[in-house]
Amino acid sequence: MALTDAEVARYARQLILPGLGEAGQERLRAARVRVVGGGPATGPAIAYLAEAGIGTLLIDDPDPVGAGDGVGFLYHSTDIGRPRGVAAAEAVRAATGLVQAELPRPGARPTGVLVSAGSPEVSRAVADEARLLGLPHVVAEVDGQGGAVTVVPPGAPCYACAVRPGIGADPTPAGAATVGALAALELVLLLAGAASEPGGRRIEVFRGAPLTRASVRQPGCACGASKASPP
Amino acid sequence: MKEGIAIAAPAARIDIRGIACPLTWVRTRIALERLRPGDLLEVLLREGEPLENVPRTAAEEGHRVVALDRLPGAAGDWRLRLERGAEGEGSPWP
Repeated sequence: MALTDAEVARYARQLILPGLGEAGQERLRAARVRVVGGGPATGPAIAYLAEAGIGTLLIDDPDPVGAGDGVGFLYHSTDIGRPRGVAAAEAVRAATGLVQAELPRPGARPTGVLVSAGSPEVSRAVADEARLLGLPHVVAEVDGQGGAVTVVPPGAPCYACAVRPGIGADPTPAGAATVGALAALELVLLLAGAASEPGGRRIEVFRGAPLTRASVRQPGCACGASKASPP
Repeated sequence: MKEGIAIAAPAARIDIRGIACPLTWVRTRIALERLRPGDLLEVLLREGEPLENVPRTAAEEGHRVVALDRLPGAAGDWRLRLERGAEGEGSPWP
């Protein structure tokens, strides 16, 4: 279905990006993105995904909103203590009527996943689940003033193959904003069919300078043997 | 681009005289995207920013400006005819 006048006005500047166009925006509207994790990048990532016009956001984050959750991106000070997923879904619904935001429910099959978990183990488990379902996914890791985003299109080397040790610094709001927005942008490009590179990659942002590496499958990794099933 | 040259009937027409930048080009781009390469799009536009930017941007993105004429009886209104460019390498089209 063609975009409505309201959608064209809302997404005007995004619509004229090379490679996106009306068809790409329609793909974003049809997309259902599951956002997983209690990491500090979740708020900025959800704000970006909603602004980009992802049709449905399934926000999977039961942890309570804390004082350091980037008030001003998505949460209000009055949200402190409420489940992040509930507060975030309400914020998205209040900001735009063009995006559905809800908690995950049985039968709501996502078409893409953004992982920003508080621990590498949880990130790895969620990324592996997405890979086995054949879903494009990105993993955001905040590390000090920056961090890393791992981009995994279907069939690409998995997150475990691409991950590298970081600095291990405490997350900062600046790092959360940078990594959250970058992760959301990478997923938007994948879902719109506008990604400049078809393969997987890892983008590390430290001291303000991004460094991109194409992901390489590690010898013997299970991701090279299993066949992902498309959604 | 002179008047009086026979031009095939356009496949689509849009009127962007009531909207401002960037929607002038957004509307034109979407209309072109809905056509096939070689099809003609007729655009009614105002002088000033739309007249300066829409034909120039269309040409930059690989489309051809076939005609650009003043609309008789409407001061400041113009009619632009664009031929939708081909998709391919170097094209910004999806």
